[in-house]
Amino acid sequence: MLTINTVTVIGTTGTMGANIAGIFASFGDAKVYCAGRDIEKVKKTIPHIVGSVRADAIADKLVPADFSSLESCVANSDLIFESSAEDMELKSAIAHRVGKALKKDAISCTGTSGLSITALAKCYPEDTRSRFFGVHMFNPPYNMPLCELIPTVYSDRVLLNELKQYLSETLFRSVVEVKDSPAFLGNRIGFQFMNETLQYAEKYKDSGGIDYIDAILGPFTGRVMAPLATSDFVGLDVHKAIVDNVYKNTSDFAHETFALPDFVQNLIDEEKLGRKSGVGLYKLIRYDNGLKRQTVYDIATGTYRDVIQYVFPFANEMKRFLSEGDYAKAFERLVNNQSQEAGICLSFLLKYIVYSLYTAQEVGDTIEAADDVMAAGFNWCPPLAMCQALSTVSNVSTLIRERLPEICTKVDVGHLLTGVRPSKYDYRMYFKSER
Amino acid sequence: MNKVYILGGAQTDFERNWTKEGKTMLALLKEATEDGIVGAGLSFDDIQELNKDNRVACFVGNFIAEKYTEQGHLGAFLTEVDPAFYGVPSARYEAACASGSVAIDAAQTKIRAGDYDVAVVIGWELMKTVDSKAGGDFLGRAAFYDKESKGIDLPFPKLFGRLADETIKKYRLDETRYMDSLAQIAVNNYANAKRNPLAQTRKWFMSKEQAKLRGTETNPYVGGRLAVSDCSQVTDGAAVVVLASEKFVMERQIKDKPILKGYGHRIAPMLFDKKMQESQNSAYILPWTRQTVLDAYHRSGLSVEDIDVFETHDCFTSSEYAAISAFGLTEPGREYEATESGLIAFDGKKPINPSGGLIGCGHPVGASGVRMFLDLYKQVMGMAGKYQVSNVQNALMLNIGGSATTNYVYIVSQGS
Repeated sequence: MLTINTVTVIGTTGTMGANIAGIFASFGDAKVYCAGRDIEKVKKTIPHIVGSVRADAIADKLVPADFSSLESCVANSDLIFESSAEDMELKSAIAHRVGKALKKDAISCTGTSGLSITALAKCYPEDTRSRFFGVHMFNPPYNMPLCELIPTVYSDRVLLNELKQYLSETLFRSVVEVKDSPAFLGNRIGFQFMNETLQYAEKYKDSGGIDYIDAILGPFTGRVMAPLATSDFVGLDVHKAIVDNVYKNTSDFAHETFALPDFVQNLIDEEKLGRKSGVGLYKLIRYDNGLKRQTVYDIATGTYRDVIQYVFPFANEMKRFLSEGDYAKAFERLVNNQSQEAGICLSFLLKYIVYSLYTAQEVGDTIEAADDVMAAGFNWCPPLAMCQALSTVSNVSTLIRERLPEICTKVDVGHLLTGVRPSKYDYRMYFKSER
Repeated sequence: MNKVYILGGAQTDFERNWTKEGKTMLALLKEATEDGIVGAGLSFDDIQELNKDNRVACFVGNFIAEKYTEQGHLGAFLTEVDPAFYGVPSARYEAACASGSVAIDAAQTKIRAGDYDVAVVIGWELMKTVDSKAGGDFLGRAAFYDKESKGIDLPFPKLFGRLADETIKKYRLDETRYMDSLAQIAVNNYANAKRNPLAQTRKWFMSKEQAKLRGTETNPYVGGRLAVSDCSQVTDGAAVVVLASEKFVMERQIKDKPILKGYGHRIAPMLFDKKMQESQNSAYILPWTRQTVLDAYHRSGLSVEDIDVFETHDCFTSSEYAAISAFGLTEPGREYEATESGLIAFDGKKPINPSGGLIGCGHPVGASGVRMFLDLYKQVMGMAGKYQVSNVQNALMLNIGGSATTNYVYIVSQGS
């Protein structure tokens, strides 16, 4: 097992950097240099780091540092975790500094969610590239244990396996090794889904658009939060960075589903970035008397209006069955209801299965990798479990052929589904009714 | 008397919050019951078939669904789970946090007497329906409500905080040494729960240092000298075990299933003060708990040396501490030796709570006794996965209700 006593986390004023510092200091029991541009800001994040793992015991292990002392922090560390802003220039400048200061045998990691790990590896001196890896965690890591581990052509395989063991057995991460491919695996699958729902919101703008699609694909379809609300939560700028990267650098059958709809670009241009800026796809209006009103961006009119309480019979019946644990009856309603909304809903779930299995083969080692990333990184019903859920009432292969004829011309669905085994995840807990 | 075999069972994932999932007690019961019956190698058709000859019965353990979910008549409620339960004799059993065990007791009695051949035991509690203050008040009914709970915030942490005080006083313990022992108990349970894929706290962080940092923002005091790290936490859950007669096992040619080797069941005075008054003349702080263990050893013909693994009722660290000597692992008053030496750790000679116990797994009150019993089954069968203790012949559980008022002990052993 690797011995990691001291860690430097670069970029601890960011949410991910702070949370990751907490993971190393708690589960890793490591002394963590929390490095940031402005030491006063770093100091202010210490209570947040402590809170992120609910442990005052780690406070003593967190050492604030600014970039002027970066080299000495790095020289004292067994592992360096770079979690700075998603900017190649910035990251390569940091990599140059870290590379020169690394002590012998130290490991260097980047937490980038999109940039090429191989390109970043090239910023390191040749003799340290074998000890550099992508380690992509999800927010918040205390609740979302997914950790995508990305080696490069330069990577030392023995060290990679030791790091994998450390991440899973010491830090209790759900480690999935993936290829150095745009957005890696989890975000590739998750943002394909979310971006296509954005496209559908535009396509169905006269039916309501954003809240219409969210009402069709709510928690009763195997997730905690509806997809567009999730995108709003993540931030539209972050969403754009991920889908643009995939759109530019990949070319699979779902390529066009990564094209960002114009209305989203317009919102970004107006700095309506989502929950973090108070307005985006949704806008929560708070009144002085404490009352709140949830409004949504109406694509057709370009204004915010009250969220519509849609009544879709298929959705209501599904929720009713789910609340009493009648899963098969809920899925039967979904599959056999001929409404436009049920059709959209089922087609998205089926596309999710197909795209996950397809991408897992390309970016992951096994199709189970797709299950691990979606369960541990998104808390969505993972694709193999989704397959099992729908299999309780119908043949999934037949459903795909019936509902996704166009995709079937591009993808050998029969071949994709041959490798499908029962999921290790229980689909039941992901399909939620309403409180 | 007939032998009682354990066919298997299942538990729900104790991390789940069914209210957040928008699901009712019926959903919980459907999932747990179906999984439990399948886990025992049976089906709803089997239940229906057995019921034609009146050979199957159901025993439901639940503390206080009337408060949490506005529902009583919980034995009959199984007919809502599946029509296979129409006509099956079923009733609900209650003994506060030992409700699961009293249901198991009723089930095993019926099997031993030869009344039925298969007994389905379902322990459950849905607790996340209310906030912690309201829930704490509901749980106060496991004590003498008028005298020990009414109008008191979180009465149970306070009662077990008093058990800690009384333990220090009775044995004239060094306070720091005792509190460090309690911290070690918390750490053991959290660490063990990391190996249990159905434990509530499997993603949570705990360290000895954190467990000792009582009175901080992340580990506030909740009952006297006990802090959050010393407490098991409220959660939702159900556990199912299926017991069977020798006749049934022979008939179906079921092999290598464990047997219920012995049990103990004793009641201590309801009021905590009276418990302490009574125990003044005993070497044990909880003499009736000790007696319950002795009864189970006596009935099974086993002693502490024969027990390979324990599951105990660590509703609080102070209750697991008292259980150590009650099991006979140390002399009373010297329980700290077992925590300090690592005797009861996962890799120790006499592991307690490899599952994570109540602190690690979460404590859905009516389910806990059945969950422990299921864990004994898994350990004896070698089916506990990452939390399997090696070479388990005999396993013992202690489930208590109230402030160690109801005491139940079961010993599960290899059948052959």
